[in-house]
Amino acid sequence: MRWPAWLRSALFRSYLRQFVILWAAGKGANAFTALLAGLPPLAFRPLTELAICAIELGILIAFIRQAHEDILMGNIGLRPILALVPLIPLHFVLSGAVALIMS
Amino acid sequence: MTAPAMSGDSICVALGGRQILQAAYVDAVPGAITALVGRSGSGKTTLFNVLVGRRRPDRGQVRWLGTRLQRPSLPYLGKSGLFFHPDCPWLASHLSFAQHIAMTSVNDWAAIAEHFQITAWLTRAVGSLSEGELRLTELAFGFALSPMVALLDEPSRALEPLHRERVVHILHEYAQRGTAILYADHDVEAVRQTADRLFSMEHGATRPVAGFKDRPLTEWYHAWPR
Repeated sequence: MRWPAWLRSALFRSYLRQFVILWAAGKGANAFTALLAGLPPLAFRPLTELAICAIELGILIAFIRQAHEDILMGNIGLRPILALVPLIPLHFVLSGAVALIMS
Repeated sequence: MTAPAMSGDSICVALGGRQILQAAYVDAVPGAITALVGRSGSGKTTLFNVLVGRRRPDRGQVRWLGTRLQRPSLPYLGKSGLFFHPDCPWLASHLSFAQHIAMTSVNDWAAIAEHFQITAWLTRAVGSLSEGELRLTELAFGFALSPMVALLDEPSRALEPLHRERVVHILHEYAQRGTAILYADHDVEAVRQTADRLFSMEHGATRPVAGFKDRPLTEWYHAWPR
């Protein structure tokens, strides 16, 4: 399995869509808790972003396992956590962009 | 005799105080179809899950191409030539066979689809297929990867008789090309016609069965000590 083929694949694109939805949900929850704590809701806090990103990836991997798609990935030699690594910078880019727009 | 491409030895698994696997042994030999036959609940699926690293055994070892694996994992095994076909649907239901194949480096997929007789639904999402069509599509995808070892849990389940015959034919074809095939089934008579080698499984323990092609079924299958 080569990276370019994986990144272009319909399966990766479907995970990308799910991840963006998870990111939006994570952003909403983070903004809500930040408001409760009296912090700017959409500010970029690297450690918090890292923790939320880990939770989003954990949820996505749970979905993948539930659908037995980890077996599909395993059969083509892909480890789910490694296959989803390209989503990590996406989380930071999206959160950074929102913080920049709202500042 | 050819050395096994993959084996599980002395595998023990206990769950909730119940011994699921008791020093089970099974292997897959290149160029042969090996069957693991046993009733539902005898431990076949658990043994397969141990072999591919989806369940950690309490004891025992898994060997892959002559090397003992400390922690077997399906991505590692898949990369080095294993095809694992579990008894549950495992293709992405919203994608078609063609979209699945596009993820791999397989070029002659049209010929493979023709060979497996799945061309009629190549571009349909696999989630919209009947159970039999889906099983056949899963097998086509796995064998398109040209595996060295194929581990198949009830590959002919839900297949129509015609498709079942096709699968048996394909298993023989791949075995002749040198693929080591290990498959689990509980249809003893079908296994007798398909397999070259056989392990019988009961209460989590396995035993090799010799001469199963010629001896009456009752002599070797129901004679398991209880």
